[in-house]
Amino acid sequence: MRKLKIWIAGLVMATSLVLSACEQMPELEISGSIQTTTETQAGANVSSESGDSSSATFSLAEVSEYSGDPYVAVHDNIPYFTEEELNAARDSFEFYSELDEIGRCGVAYASVSTETMPTEKRGDISSVKPTGWHSVKYDNVDGKSLYNRCHLIGYQLTAENANKQNLITGTRYLNVDGMLPFENMVADYVKETKNHVLYRVTPVFEGDNLVASGVLMEAESVEDQGEGVLFCVYAYDVQPGITIDYATGESAISGQALAGVTTKADKNSTAKTEAKTNGSKKDTGAETKTSEKSNTKNEKKQTYVLNVNTGTFHKPDCSSAQRTKEENKKQVKDTRTHMIEQGYSPCKQCNP
Amino acid sequence: MIVAVCVDDKNGMMFNKRRQSQDRIQRQHLRKLAEGRMIWMNSYSAVLFLKDSEQLNAGLESGAQEDFAQPNICVDEDFLDRAGENEICFVENQSVSEYTEKIEGVILYKWNRVYPSDRFFDLDLSGEEWKLTESEEFEGSSHEKITMEFYRSHSQGSQSNGEAKE
Repeated sequence: MRKLKIWIAGLVMATSLVLSACEQMPELEISGSIQTTTETQAGANVSSESGDSSSATFSLAEVSEYSGDPYVAVHDNIPYFTEEELNAARDSFEFYSELDEIGRCGVAYASVSTETMPTEKRGDISSVKPTGWHSVKYDNVDGKSLYNRCHLIGYQLTAENANKQNLITGTRYLNVDGMLPFENMVADYVKETKNHVLYRVTPVFEGDNLVASGVLMEAESVEDQGEGVLFCVYAYDVQPGITIDYATGESAISGQALAGVTTKADKNSTAKTEAKTNGSKKDTGAETKTSEKSNTKNEKKQTYVLNVNTGTFHKPDCSSAQRTKEENKKQVKDTRTHMIEQGYSPCKQCNP
Repeated sequence: MIVAVCVDDKNGMMFNKRRQSQDRIQRQHLRKLAEGRMIWMNSYSAVLFLKDSEQLNAGLESGAQEDFAQPNICVDEDFLDRAGENEICFVENQSVSEYTEKIEGVILYKWNRVYPSDRFFDLDLSGEEWKLTESEEFEGSSHEKITMEFYRSHSQGSQSNGEAKE
């Protein structure tokens, strides 16, 4: 009942905002966003219509190419929220856009508070097949499954389970390295202070792509005017070592032809095992699949330390590995040949 | 001086000029560790401790019992320069690497979470210079598990630790 009341409040608020936005900017009806729109030109644009950010526009074209960091600050880390939106966020609400004509999610938007947060463990979300969804596994992906059902607004914030308007096809890397840190920060801030956080996630699709290129994440703590939480970042929907065809969701190990990879859309019958989840843990998206392609070779696997920034791999005891920044470091168990096939170079010092 | 910091799983401290996280119970823990010693901090951090004091006073007025010693908090923007031997410096938003020679010990609070970060704790505690001498886990007010670790510097004598001197 509590969730229903919050959702209805959000719907009323969102409806009024959409109407007010449409009166001034009727062309902004795309993707069911509130005061945000996603355009499908060379770059996706998100614009804000009033307040300090009146002329500010988010453009994907301004986001630098992925270079080793899972997210990058945009708009000086200041969200595109308007004063009106911030004032309205003193009461909890949730809004999830209707799917567009090809079934893609739009903006998800909420005033997160202790009222919206979960009181029980997360339920099964395997019934949802977001656009571009494929069950495919790689040995060089944490947890092996390339794709997760990525909550736009994380379960730990608004307790949404199998809501198809809140789940996109996202890489494991986007889910865990790109989005989860921000969800953790917001969740713990709300629990500690009991304040509200205005929170908006916009999936950015280029053209008619079925898989988003990334997500724009915005948040601002309400009662303290952003003193506690304030960010505006773009998180990349990429997976190091994997090439993705965003139009279809098909994928391949970097350097290999996309067509040569056995990926199979989920419209086919597959045996699925939903990964166990609980509390704030994000979906691993782990599924078993009979047609899964194994990339393992006969060569013995070793433990290596990757520098995802330089693309170098090291023995664990290599001094260069120990000097690598923690945020650029990743430990993997793989064959040397496979590491090189993925585009990583062996360290010249330790010669792994 | 003893440096006290809070870090996430990636040694991060801040993102976008804001602390990654905070926890009232963690601050109480630090106050207990201080046991009357001076706790230095800058004005950014002092706001948190001021709020704690306000809440404590409100609790005392309503009959609650004070359950930790009131520390001697000293607020100064140059606190890392001014802190003396065995005094605690609570650091949130600045580098400590240039004070390595002065640091006798480090009280490291781990959130056991990953948050976004663009400022990191810049003292490498993995080298032989530092020895882990104490570790404790406790539940925070908004964190399931906070881990406190105390590292002692070999080059700074043997008396420094998380507890007050006799």
